[in-house]
Amino acid sequence: MKVADLLEQRRKNWQELEKLCEQTQTRRKKNMPPAMLSRFASLYRAACADLALADSYQLPPNTVAYLHRLVGRAHNQLYRSRDFNYQAWGQMLLVDAPRRIFSDRCVQASFVVFWGIFILSAFIAYSNGMWPSYAEDILGDNMIEQLETSFADPINGRNPQANFQMAGFYIQHNTSIGLKCFAGGILVIPGLFVTVFNAAFLGASFGYMARPDIPEGQNFFHFVTAHGPFELTAIVLSAGAGLRIGISWLSTGGLTRESSLRKTAEEAMPIMGAAIGLFFLAALIEGFLSPSSAPYWVKAVVAMLSSGLLMFYFVVLGFPRRGDVF
Amino acid sequence: MATKSAQIDSTVEIVTPENIAFHYQVAGPFRRLPAFILDLLIRSGVFTLFMIILGLAGALTNLSGIMGAGMMIVWFLLDWFYGGIFETWMNGQTPGKWVLGIRVLSVDGQPINGIQAIMRNILRTLDMMPVGTCMLGLVAMTLNQRFQRIGDIVCGTNVVVEERKWLTGVAKMDDARVAQLANYIPADYRVSRTLAKTLAAYVDRRRFFSIPRRREVSRHLAEPLLVQFGFPLDTSYDLLLCALYYRTFVADRSDDERITTEINTSPFSPTTPTNVAAQASANPFDIVQPQSGK
Repeated sequence: MKVADLLEQRRKNWQELEKLCEQTQTRRKKNMPPAMLSRFASLYRAACADLALADSYQLPPNTVAYLHRLVGRAHNQLYRSRDFNYQAWGQMLLVDAPRRIFSDRCVQASFVVFWGIFILSAFIAYSNGMWPSYAEDILGDNMIEQLETSFADPINGRNPQANFQMAGFYIQHNTSIGLKCFAGGILVIPGLFVTVFNAAFLGASFGYMARPDIPEGQNFFHFVTAHGPFELTAIVLSAGAGLRIGISWLSTGGLTRESSLRKTAEEAMPIMGAAIGLFFLAALIEGFLSPSSAPYWVKAVVAMLSSGLLMFYFVVLGFPRRGDVF
Repeated sequence: MATKSAQIDSTVEIVTPENIAFHYQVAGPFRRLPAFILDLLIRSGVFTLFMIILGLAGALTNLSGIMGAGMMIVWFLLDWFYGGIFETWMNGQTPGKWVLGIRVLSVDGQPINGIQAIMRNILRTLDMMPVGTCMLGLVAMTLNQRFQRIGDIVCGTNVVVEERKWLTGVAKMDDARVAQLANYIPADYRVSRTLAKTLAAYVDRRRFFSIPRRREVSRHLAEPLLVQFGFPLDTSYDLLLCALYYRTFVADRSDDERITTEINTSPFSPTTPTNVAAQASANPFDIVQPQSGK
């Protein structure tokens, strides 16, 4: 048979497959009649066979190129991305994430780095004797002034409408910081820099506000106590997840750099998911409870409860089970 | 990445579960940037729309705080998850990618899953470093053959071109002389596979060439063939290749007889005043036409 005849004969099939590709592109899979699906599948297989035999049919190169594209396109319609699987996400957040966090050296390292520098920085800023201008050097005069003015008045609640707005702002702002911290972690140095900077900065502000000669300190702690545990933990987690990916790129454990990166990215995703969840919780507390006029002990109880919840999450859910391979 | 030409043409080979290897062209930065800009415009359009709706609703219902929170959350979601959500639901495409005809796939040709889609979009901030110039992403793209930015490398994805329409079929031969000359090509001459490919590539592209250029290009192939077939050496080279193409891809042998009987005019160009009949009779294969030559 001559090529022209063969093409004439096949062209109808190919064009039908093309049309079906267009239809499946716009429709959801569930709404497609089964006859159409099976027609699609058999046409796809036929096109695959034509492509496989293209060389022995001596098809012209432009037809072969067309077939490559047609098969590629049909392939993409047949093997579609799956929708979000909510059950798998629950499994990821409640089972995978805590176990990974518990046993992940990078999360532990970033925990130690963050809290070590935080406490050190808070202590230096507080003690006033070792390095008298430390807080001013780290925070800058503007920031200190801003801190002092915003906590000058005792915290006694604000307009509930503003609470919503601020909660939204915290979700947007803080989670973005966390995600940037995570993304920067892949290049190790920027990630570590952001972590260290955050730790020193936050530590200095805590230490400075805790000084007995700062009258606004009381209001400051009134504000930050309730949401502190969730928010600070979330920062540590996102830094750790980023660092995890960054390290996998340097120390590959026998894999190629690329596949090591890919494997670790999959593993780090649950940690990042947990961090995003914590940022949300922290933002809700920060938006509604922290600025409210509730007495200090309520906020302290919330802080303790959330710390307890975190402990439960990391230790009870995260404790290595037999047969885990992380 | 089997051949050198694949590297130059920036194609990647993917083997499907049906055990067919097909080729994709990977999309470079100049195809992806317009898609990204388009997405950015859509994103800001949607955000502006939400701003107006939520702002109006807030002003009318006295719930401006909740509406303000809604705005921030919409901003946050659009900022970080626009690409991830669309690429999961639209099978590797965002609206911008759909318009530009490109799609995200795993490097092994499988569709991407939700985690890959979200992760590669979160990591865009890294690719846009330092300070939004996209230099990191561009440098990463130049360092691998699939134009992967850092987010793509981490997630094992690449962006491929997906053409919607493509010309197909054999080229039309309008010139009657082509069919006639094809008839004089010795019937036992078998066109090899590489020659068939070359002929098809030539005929596909010759319409973009000027006549002297056609002559120049086809000369190397046509001259030895003219000698081999015993044709007059001043036959148009272009015509000879077209005739060979015609015989290989279009003509059916059963037509040969009919065409021979219909010959009245010379198949050669007017500049070659050779006697066709004399030429044909000099070629013994033209007189005995095998019918079973399929």
